[in-house]
Amino acid sequence: MAKIEDLKEEARKLLREGKIKYVIGYAAGTNGWMASPIFIKKPEDVEKLVWDPTCVHNLSRFLVDEKRRKEREKQPDKRPVGIFVKGCDSRAIVVLLQEKFIDRNDVYILGISCEKGGVVDEHKLARKLEGKKPKKIELGDKGQLVVTTANRKAEFPVEELLAERCLECRANFPVISDIMSGEKIKRTVEKPFGSVEKMERMPKEERWRFWKEQLDKCIRCYACRSVCPMCYCDECVVDSINLAVSADTTAEEKADKVKWIQRSAESSENFVYHFVRAIHLAGRCIDCGECERACPLDIPVRFLNKKLEREAKELFGYEVGFDPAQPSLVSSFRDDDPEDFIR
Amino acid sequence: MAEEFEPKIVAFLCKWCSSAGSDLAGVSRMEYPPNVVPIQVMCSGSVSPLYIFSAFNKGADGVLVSGCHPGDCHYIKGNYYARRRIHLVKKLLEFVGLEPERFQMSWVSAAEGTKYTQVIKEFVNELKPLGPQNKLRRNP
Ligand code: SF4
Ligand code: SF4
Ligand code: FES
Repeated sequence: MAKIEDLKEEARKLLREGKIKYVIGYAAGTNGWMASPIFIKKPEDVEKLVWDPTCVHNLSRFLVDEKRRKEREKQPDKRPVGIFVKGCDSRAIVVLLQEKFIDRNDVYILGISCEKGGVVDEHKLARKLEGKKPKKIELGDKGQLVVTTANRKAEFPVEELLAERCLECRANFPVISDIMSGEKIKRTVEKPFGSVEKMERMPKEERWRFWKEQLDKCIRCYACRSVCPMCYCDECVVDSINLAVSADTTAEEKADKVKWIQRSAESSENFVYHFVRAIHLAGRCIDCGECERACPLDIPVRFLNKKLEREAKELFGYEVGFDPAQPSLVSSFRDDDPEDFIR
Repeated sequence: MAEEFEPKIVAFLCKWCSSAGSDLAGVSRMEYPPNVVPIQVMCSGSVSPLYIFSAFNKGADGVLVSGCHPGDCHYIKGNYYARRRIHLVKKLLEFVGLEPERFQMSWVSAAEGTKYTQVIKEFVNELKPLGPQNKLRRNP
């Protein structure tokens, strides 16, 4: 069983010795059952760290912010940042390393294996508890989830409460770490792309209606982009940056600022946004599910990424987030990449 | 009788092969349907997926990306990258329910004027029964 105590000890030691700048981890939630991210600078605060199936956030997003902060500072503190990661989060770090966005020395990775668990899906939980507030959610020793509410303790099979992506997770343990707790064991996953396949089996027009209805809802708040550890571009093509045109503005400058899409939340524009998002995350999305969780309208944006994850695997044998030395999906090719679709 | 639907095709043609191929078709006075809006690009590898989404968004009934045959790209590897990227775009468009016929890719060399006309003819014939592309089109 993964125990956070060992990792806490290590975190305390690292902070005491000044080997790391701070630790990003999870603390008991202040608003509801879900654990919230915490930044710990003092060894005595390490006590606050928790680990359970409510540690939903992918904390590696904060590494992007950390890098930005460092770039702004005149004399940045170059010590590594300690970070707690689950399997999926660790794969996000692999991609950040692969893309040389961060350096291995920038992070000290404290990994925890989800083993036979994963993280809880808030909708599933709300449905199960019918409005009752959970006090505590733990992974039981028989691989079940134990939920404690004000007046009772109930057990559920993981399938009933875990996020869909956890049930489809192919490596629910950290694939990269400096110290790790728990075993590299996992639940058997019969259909790692089951949810995508189900959608693929829908007739074309039905699929169209589904996506139209979903993407019509999008209000273009870009929360899905803000929460994603892979969405770190300094400039995003979907942002319309106004260019002050003067007599000296060159044609090149204007050409660089083409407004490819409008922010108006119309379905035609929303489709372009979501296509761009999906394509730019192809071979990079590690399925942490944060985009879907952050979406205020519950749009299943994760599916678009998952679809491309599957195509990358099937067409090009590409797996995301395991090897930082592997060339990225779209900056590489094989001579025998399929081309039966080309005339 | 209602006029027959004439699909509008946006074709991204690489300068060194497919665009030259289309020129050859032109100067050789080969006949092919006038439904294409050709856009010359430096290489099929320079076609951003955004160009494709944008073309559909602005009302294309079909989009074609055409480049040099494998091994013949002027920039050596551009078309290999394109092959991968375009494949993903195609899968994505189909996933949300766009008709697969609406997005095509071809290899057309500078000498293949006839093949170019063939590709266009077939494309137009496949698009006609589908009618106008209204799914991804920006609201007028
Ligand atoms: S696209 Fe969504 S699931 Fe994929 S890495 Fe970004 S936030 Fe996570
Ligand atoms: S998909 Fe959801 S999170 Fe993303 S921009 Fe649209 S409304 Fe916002
Ligand atoms: S130059 Fe024709 S495909 Fe690259």
